[in-house]
Amino acid sequence: MATDTLPSLAIPGTILGPASKYAAGPGTHVYGGNIVSSLLGNVNVTSPAKAPGPAKRLNKITAPSVEELSTISVIRRGRKREVLPDVGNTVLARVVRLMPKQAIVVIQQVGDTVLQTEWQGVIRVQDVRATEQDKVKIHESFKPGDIVRAQVISLGDQANYYLSTASNELGVIMATSDAGNDMVPISWKEFKDPDTGVSEPRKVAKPS
Amino acid sequence: MADRRRVNGPGSSTLPPVYDDGELNAASRRQRAPDAIRPLCETKPIPTICSYMSYHENLETKTLRLDLKTGVTPSASGSAYLEIEPREGEHGSGMKLTCTVHGPRSLPRSAPFSPYMVLSTHVKFAPFATKQRRGYLRDSSEKDLSTHLETALRGALIADRWPKSGVDIVVTIIEGESTRQDAVERRVEEWDVMNVLGGCITVASAAIADAGIDCVDTVSGGVAALVASKDGNDASIVLDPVALEHESVMAACCVAYLPNRDEVTNLWFKGQLPLSASYNHQSLVSRAVQASRGTHGLISASLSEAIGSTQN
Repeated sequence: MATDTLPSLAIPGTILGPASKYAAGPGTHVYGGNIVSSLLGNVNVTSPAKAPGPAKRLNKITAPSVEELSTISVIRRGRKREVLPDVGNTVLARVVRLMPKQAIVVIQQVGDTVLQTEWQGVIRVQDVRATEQDKVKIHESFKPGDIVRAQVISLGDQANYYLSTASNELGVIMATSDAGNDMVPISWKEFKDPDTGVSEPRKVAKPS
Repeated sequence: MADRRRVNGPGSSTLPPVYDDGELNAASRRQRAPDAIRPLCETKPIPTICSYMSYHENLETKTLRLDLKTGVTPSASGSAYLEIEPREGEHGSGMKLTCTVHGPRSLPRSAPFSPYMVLSTHVKFAPFATKQRRGYLRDSSEKDLSTHLETALRGALIADRWPKSGVDIVVTIIEGESTRQDAVERRVEEWDVMNVLGGCITVASAAIADAGIDCVDTVSGGVAALVASKDGNDASIVLDPVALEHESVMAACCVAYLPNRDEVTNLWFKGQLPLSASYNHQSLVSRAVQASRGTHGLISASLSEAIGSTQN
């Protein structure tokens, strides 16, 4: 394997290898036919995931696709790096304000990474659930203080990321009742307070 | 009620810092350099993480010592501290710079949508950094330095990887080069600004790398100057000039340079080249690039050591 020719540490600007042999991963960029580090950190090479089953018989001439190349990435170990929410990420957000047509949330976690800064997001009424979108009422889906699992659908405008909960796995995962107790989900649209027995409507995420 | 919004001064009286005047021999200045500044900002001697000897061009016996350390401010996303030690038996008094990088963080609500990272740079002299005491408000030379620094860094950052986010880069000059009385008397501060900018670029570059913000290359600053010798008729180019050492400085040039790409992101040229001389603008710029190549060696050594030490 050609790993030994690669440097183990990289600073921004370190040339890591030719772009014809490797694919550029996180923390790198391509310049002048070479993969160049854009971060300070350790160089990682991940070999491509082998497709299961026998290899397909070639019936046309193709250049090796990106999947067949090892990916070089530069990651700084032992140090958390700020990440940004990106389209397609699943995020955890806290509801801060409700409006008739949308809910304002604050994104607190992207994937498994807890964010250092708070990014504001908005869940519009048509993005709350996939079916019967015209019957959705924001006040029956969220309450301020709820923790919501949502997906980023757009970078949005200058202030907000646009989020969606239109999936069974997405929606409110933690909620407190009017009395201030933690509630438990009892159906796809209701949370129940175990102490008072009162149930409140929510867009409930399917427990995983 | 106590004023909790501002950083208040001490309740009792304090002594203002006393700077030495005039010529001093090397031995007594070495005692002075750390002591004059310590009562004010309570600095501890910083352990040298990395030292790099950059070559002083025309005087081969004299070397410029630089110390660079990253990760000095825990509350910032990235930070760096650069110290240029005074040269033995010479005039300059060294330079101490610190840089903090805050962000990437969300833009204020009033800011317009930006698909790129919004960079803002602040260069500030500490009030006690130079012999001429500075105010707390930014003056025009500090704004000028901020603009130059912003241009230098903008060319190196990959701004489209951080949409809708802002980054603040704050460089504080703790000790400027012209702390000495001679500098004020001989009016050479204007040339020292070049060295300050070179240091700002270098320290900011290290702090950005520490913060984990994508860059195409590690940008480094370098200064070259065309100086007249004591007899006044022989001009020569020096790297990392100390204005006090020379009879007069005719022109100076500060570049921000990307060594792996061989690109210059910022170029600042000041002064007039003598008509008769064989030196032209290109030669001065190429010597400044040579100086920044030397500085790049310092940054890469310091950064490599920083990641090497977090491994274990």
